[in-house]
Parts: sequence; C-alpha cells; structure tokens
Amino acid sequence: MTGLYELVWRVLHALLCPHRRLTSWLRVRFGTWSWIWRRCYRAASAAVLAPLGFTLREPAAVGRNRRHHRHPLQGPGPAAAHPRLRWRADGRSLEKLPVLMGLVITADEQEPSFSDIASIVVRCMAVGISYISVYDHQGIFKRNNSRLMDEILKQQQELLGLDCSKYSPGFANSNDKDDQVLNCHSIVKVLSPEDGKADIVRAAQDFWQLVTQQQKRATDLDVDMLDRLLSSNGFPDPDLVLKFGPVDSTLGFLPWQIRLTEIVSLPSHLNISYEDFFSALRQHAACEQRLGK
Amino acid sequence: MSWIKEGELSLWERFCANIIKAGPMPKHIAFIMDGNRRYAKKCQVERQEGHSQGFNKLAETLRWCLNLGILEVTVYAFSIENFKRSKSEVDGLLDLARQKFTCLLEEQCFLNVCFAYTSRHEITNAVREMAWGVEQGLLDPSDISESLLDKCLYTNHSPHPDILIRTSGEVRLSDFLLWQTSHSCLVFQPVLWPEYTFWNLCEAILQFQMNHSMLQKARDMYAEELKRHQLERDQAAVTKQLLREGLQASGDTQLRRTRLHKLSARREERVQGFLQALELKRANWLARLGTASA
Repeated sequence: MTGLYELVWRVLHALLCPHRRLTSWLRVRFGTWSWIWRRCYRAASAAVLAPLGFTLREPAAVGRNRRHHRHPLQGPGPAAAHPRLRWRADGRSLEKLPVLMGLVITADEQEPSFSDIASIVVRCMAVGISYISVYDHQGIFKRNNSRLMDEILKQQQELLGLDCSKYSPGFANSNDKDDQVLNCHSIVKVLSPEDGKADIVRAAQDFWQLVTQQQKRATDLDVDMLDRLLSSNGFPDPDLVLKFGPVDSTLGFLPWQIRLTEIVSLPSHLNISYEDFFSALRQHAACEQRLGK
Repeated sequence: MSWIKEGELSLWERFCANIIKAGPMPKHIAFIMDGNRRYAKKCQVERQEGHSQGFNKLAETLRWCLNLGILEVTVYAFSIENFKRSKSEVDGLLDLARQKFTCLLEEQCFLNVCFAYTSRHEITNAVREMAWGVEQGLLDPSDISESLLDKCLYTNHSPHPDILIRTSGEVRLSDFLLWQTSHSCLVFQPVLWPEYTFWNLCEAILQFQMNHSMLQKARDMYAEELKRHQLERDQAAVTKQLLREGLQASGDTQLRRTRLHKLSARREERVQGFLQALELKRANWLARLGTASA
C-alpha cells in the first residue's frame, strides 16, 4: 500500500512542479511573444497611419528593453509625455507607495540576469520609490556590485533618458559605502545574508563593547537601542518586498527589518512586464496595516 | 476529556494524508491565525465568538497535525501590539486563553503559544542575555555568534519551523519568529482562520514539499558559510596566539590544528556553562512569577 501512495505522490509532484516551471516559462515566452506582437502592431499602425498624417512616438530605449514599455497610439495634438513622466504619474496615483522596496531574487540554478534586475530597479525609481534594496542569498549581486550599478546607469539612460553619472560624481565612487549608489533621487543598496542575522550579531558585539567601556549595562538594551546599532540605522524598513523566483522564502533577507513588510511573490525576475510590476505595487497600496489593533 | 478534538480523519482524508506522507514532511509548523474578527463580521456575530471559533479551529488543526505526524506547532496567539485593542476584547482573549490552554497540558505533543510576544523583543532579549553572560564571565566576547543567539531565544528547545502559514490573505510576518523563519517555507493562504480546512493544510504541506529541496540547499549553503566564517575567525585567533608566544604563525600545522581544536573545545565548554546558567536564571524567574501570582 505504501508503494501505491508513493507512486501517487510522485505523479502529483510530477504534475505540480512542471506546472510551476511551465507558468514561469509561459511568462517568459509570452513576454517575448507579447513584445513581438507589440512591435508588429506598432509597425502595422505606423504603416496605416503615416499616410493620414499621424505619427507614433518612439521611445528612446533600444534593444530588448522596449518590451517593457507601453506604446499607446498617439493622436494629433501635443506629443505624449515621456514614459518616465507617465510612470511618475502612475506612482502618484496610488494611495501609498513604498518608501523602501526590497527586491529579493531567489533564482533556482541559473545566474540572475543583471539587466533584468537593473530594469526593475530603474522602474522603481521612475515610479517614485526613494530606496531600493537588491538581495540574493548567495551574495552574487554584492560580489558583482559594480557590474549591477553599471547596468542600472545604462538602463536609466535608456529607459528614462537620464544621465545620472553626472549627478553623483563623488558618491558612486565613494569607498566607504560602495554598495550604495545615489542616483537621481533614489538610493540603491545591494544586500546579502551578511546584512541580516550576521549584522544583528555584529550589533550585539558592538553593544558588548559599550558595556566593557562602561557606557552601558547589559540590562540597558532595548528594541530601539538594538535597532540603532544595526547597519540599517537611518534607513527606513522595507514596506514591500517583491520576491522573484520559485522559492517561497525570504532566504535570510533582513529578518529584523521585515517585521511589517508586505511580501509579494512573482515567479521570475526575467522579462517582468510593467503591468505585473505595477499590479504588485497596487496590491501593496490596497492592503491595510492594523498594527495589532 | 482531551481539548484537541477527538476524531480521526475521514476515509478520503486519510487516503490523501497517506499520499502526502510519502513525501518529505515538516516536523514543525508555525501558524499566524489571522481572520477571527473578519470571520465574526462576515457571520454577523460578536468578535468574542470569532475568537472562540478560532480557538476551536486551533484544536481541530492540532488533531490534523497529529494525524499527519507533525508533532510540533507554534502559534501566534497574542502580540504585544494587540494590547492596543479595546480592554473588553483583550480581557476576552485572555480569559479564553486561560480556559483553553489549561486543558492542553494533558496532551502529548508540543504546542508553543506565543503570548504577549514580538520577535524583535525576543531577539533583543537574546542579545541582552549574551551580554549578561559576558558580564558574568561565563562567556568571551568572541563567543557571541549566530548559533549562540539562536540558543538564547525563547524557542531554543525547538527546531526552526519548516513552514509558516498565515491565513486571511495578509502577506506579512507581523513580528512573528523573524529570526527562526528566515529559511522556512512561507505559505500565505487567503482563507480566514476559523474557516481553515484539512485541505488548506494539505495545500500548505504540498507547497512545502515543492520547496523542500531548494530550501534544504539554501540552508546547507548558509550553514557552510557560517562554519567557514567561524573557522576563519578561529584561524586568526590561533595566529594571534602563536605570534604572541613568539612562535611561527604558519609553521607547525600539527600545532595549529591542536590549538584550533583546543580553542573550539574551550568555547563549547563556556557556551554549555552559560546555557545552563541561563536555564537556571529563567527557571527561577518563572518560579518567582508563579509564587507572585499565587
């Protein structure tokens, strides 16, 4: 009988696991087809409308990033706003926008895509989010921090038409916080597990230093004091975490700081459409935090 | 009479339970039992009735867990933040808890109830205890580590939860077991707690099973990193020791190995001594609490 149960269990999982992969894959594929469809549609519309004197406004982006845009048909009259202004307006239209957004990437086996993450970061900036944290549990982004930052600068230029390298000449190259870049009103931080539990332990050791210097007693420590000793002191706690990938866990992302964070899951960080991204923001805006009451 | 609902699973439930048990099973599940008040509003009954139904559902869920071989459950009954609620609601909840939990002492599984609890307070308390340990001379400052902090938490006698289930559709942790669930499978289910069914539990366990190998891999990787860091620190400490004694830091590998072994053995001794002292301190505190309320 045990053999039968095991067999049924294997069949069940054989159906469920590919289902998750298929959904992910379809999202990627559909994303590509959706992009192809939009290009053909634009081309066809242009061919039809051009003789009538209408023009489609082409966004500044090149290459694969185009599919992340919406391309409304432009009628006569003043040219439509640059996408970044529309994204900013979208952000303002929400009841609440996260102050700090965490992007947690849980890729299963393959290496995460730096350009896809960069484009999500840039969209966060465009919509008006002031702080963005990027995290993966293997510390890949942290070890390749400059590659990610370069990719973000590139995407900012392509998607937003902004040249931010000239806004922050000193900061981006600063040595003390070189995993943190100030880019045109948003701060991007790259995190890894050492910023989570390990940082709490470091804070505990710092507190012990204060006790040995007789500045504090062991019993003086309270939640606020420990909070101030953490590296995240001065930064807000994440309001929203977008968790990408198949793993249903935060995998060590800032355990202390996520006590009230909304965790929204998306199947993959690859080819995320603006609609999916924005609907996650809408979900966060709609939720009500009763804070114990 | 047992508070955990009597009664076995139906034939169909037992059949499905046996299928699920063919895969990896969680040993410890944590629940955030959310949705009692929304349920009360939906059924147009008093809030107190919603909470009472919630407790009944807890009893039923514990029975399902026992049937599935899950012997440890942790629930978030009452947060420090919940004291912000109206006095009548708080009093009602505390009375209900007193009633229902006294019966639980006869049962043969572990039910951990987090009462007047927040994770940040728990973590802060653990850090305070470690500082106390160093102050008392039981620990060296270098003994402060993640694994030691883990052993100072209130949940130190339990393994970390394999699954954290939150009902009612909310998708946050609300200051519950933040440290312990860093690598747990998080399952957010839209059903209101008093309406939780056996099938909801099965769904959660299936999700755990689908995540199991990825989570195990991530946990093992993390544990390896911790070990590696500890070894690095120990190596640095031994190097310092040897240099202080005027010996070659990278000379005799046998000597280094012996010193490393001695270092970690001594640390283990200190940690055990500290943990025993901590247990005693907590037991005395509980005893004093008991006599104070008597």
